[in-house]
Amino acid sequence: MQDAPIVQLEKVSKIYQQGQVEVKAVDNFDLTVRAGEFSVLCGPSGSGKTTILNLIGALDAPSSGRVWLEGQNLAELNRGRLSRLRRDRIGFVFQSYNLIPVLTAFENAEFVLSLQNVPAAERRKRVMAVLREVGMADYVDRRPDELSGGQQQRIAIARAVVSEPAIVLADEPTANVDSEAADTILDLMTMLNREKGVTFLFSTHDQRVMDRARRLIRLRDGRLEADENQDR
Amino acid sequence: MQLNKMAWRTLARNKRRSLITSFSVAFGILLAVTFTGSGDYSYTSMIDTSAVMGFGHVSVEAAGYNDRPGLARRLTEAGGVRKTALGLPRVAGAYVRIMGQAMFATGAKSVGGVFMAVDPQLEKPLHNFFLRSIVEGRLFDDTNGRGAVVGAGMAVKLNLRLGKKVIVTVTDKNGQLTSELTRVCGIFKTGDDSVDSGMVLLPLGRMRQVLNYGPDDATLVAVYVNDLRQVKRVRTLLAAKLDHKANLEVLPWQETQPDLAGLIAVDRLFNYLLQFLVGLVIAAGILNTMLMSVLERTREFGIMMAVGMTPRQVVGLVLIESFWLGVLGLLLGVILTTPWFIYMSRVGIDLSRHIGQDYSAGGVLVDPVMKLRLYRESALVILLSAFGLTMAAGVYPAIRAGRTMPVESLKET
Ligand SMILES: Nc1ncnc2c1ncn2[C@@H]1O[C@H](COP(=O)(O)OP(=O)(O)O)[C@@H](O)[C@H]1O
Ligand SMILES: [Mg+2]
Repeated sequence: MQDAPIVQLEKVSKIYQQGQVEVKAVDNFDLTVRAGEFSVLCGPSGSGKTTILNLIGALDAPSSGRVWLEGQNLAELNRGRLSRLRRDRIGFVFQSYNLIPVLTAFENAEFVLSLQNVPAAERRKRVMAVLREVGMADYVDRRPDELSGGQQQRIAIARAVVSEPAIVLADEPTANVDSEAADTILDLMTMLNREKGVTFLFSTHDQRVMDRARRLIRLRDGRLEADENQDR
Repeated sequence: MQLNKMAWRTLARNKRRSLITSFSVAFGILLAVTFTGSGDYSYTSMIDTSAVMGFGHVSVEAAGYNDRPGLARRLTEAGGVRKTALGLPRVAGAYVRIMGQAMFATGAKSVGGVFMAVDPQLEKPLHNFFLRSIVEGRLFDDTNGRGAVVGAGMAVKLNLRLGKKVIVTVTDKNGQLTSELTRVCGIFKTGDDSVDSGMVLLPLGRMRQVLNYGPDDATLVAVYVNDLRQVKRVRTLLAAKLDHKANLEVLPWQETQPDLAGLIAVDRLFNYLLQFLVGLVIAAGILNTMLMSVLERTREFGIMMAVGMTPRQVVGLVLIESFWLGVLGLLLGVILTTPWFIYMSRVGIDLSRHIGQDYSAGGVLVDPVMKLRLYRESALVILLSAFGLTMAAGVYPAIRAGRTMPVESLKET
């Protein structure tokens, strides 16, 4: 039995105008991501990884083609609906400086739940549970600038998964941390995928990260080069 | 949402900037209080001084007297008008007076001037500046007697001393020239040269006879209020009560003293304009600071919006920041301004050395001590404007923050 598709990209292109030159950041790209996947977009720098994640995350709109999220065509939603969709259905982890500097680790992890107006007691319960899972329960009162890059990424992952989104999009989440922290982050995401069924789509150009993916979507110049399932 | 907490922490994160910003609000409040306060004080004292020189805050006169004063235009039943005025709330005093032109002469010399005939039994120093300023002798006590209180300048001009004779010549109600012999019983000195050399107080009863007036006739009833802000109301009330009496007008000081009213209006306009400009400069400073603070946080806003915060919530967040800056500014402003205001309203700064001896402006004596006086309404307006300007200065930065495009602001360099 196949799980329902969460993300569907249909002939998606994104063209940037740079002066006189048109840059095709994404070129006629098709993709389906199903619930429970642990997939990696990979390709050299400039191959369109970030652009694709932004399109899926409803942060950007394609020049042509369609993006569907849980059966919803994103082009049909207004700004407010898109905000809500990002808040409720998508988790984001960016490359670095993910956190809001004036909030503590706990408050950062709690941020999306507060936006959702989840009651404080329930927030506390859910956030603490996730912080334990990512190994950050002892750092709740730290401000982002008192945490290492790897720890910040773990808080970002906690923020992304605590609201139980349909998919977590992570753009090169290990690019700015040392290899040990990168391993921790990968272990964490793998564990959350295996044990909680969290769907992950992340990008990387790091070979060691690619090795741990179950599905490798290779990009080159905005086009799909290969889509491989790796047995692991 | 935790917008409030975030706004506070943002202000706390950059303590120095927040302090400087709210200090500039506080400084604006101090300036506004000083400008408005010195205006209110000097206008009030000018109006009061002018009022106690004869016409009162509100005056009841024969119709047409104000436009073309002349002793032929007289008010009948002045005593009744006075009683009616005294019966009104917020009226502190009302006096029957005759004011008009006269010639004052001794055997050798004569000068033109103004007389004010008053009832010695009724007049109080509080509402009669000349009475307050008597430096020699005293006010006559017989309303039908021949006493005269002259200004020090006139005394010098006519070479008068207490007990000396002065001939007063006036045109009576029928246009006949008549003269009366009076005797100097007092000399006043107000400090205003033109008043001191041109004004004489005379007894009301005697002048009624001289002018051929009836026993209850006068040119005006001068009414004094407790508080200048009540002038309009007292005037309206009094006019309504006297409605049945034709042939009289109830006028506020602005109409009996149009020069003073004009002077004050112009001064006040400049004062407000100056305050407005100062406010604008301060608001521009706040706007600049807020904008800086917003522009250096685009990545934060981008992340907040990426994970689901709406542009409106981001706008709200920045507006809350300016709200608290405004509150902080108000608090600092009150802390800063209160001691200054207390000192300036009680003690003030003595400017007499810089002004010279004759402190008149527009024919009215000016207090040589700069003091502050602030009506509660003015204080409220100042505080609200300071707060409103701070909030207003935050609007554009807030909108800019709300326009953050996450894709742009999240780009890794
Ligand atoms: N806002 C933009 N304006 C112009 N060109 C852009 C913009 N964003 C991305 N690009 C171009 O699109 C291509 C893909 O970029 P990106 O998706 O960031 O690749 P990756 O994340 O794989 O490094 C690159 O050539 C990049 O220069
Ligand atoms: Mg990228």
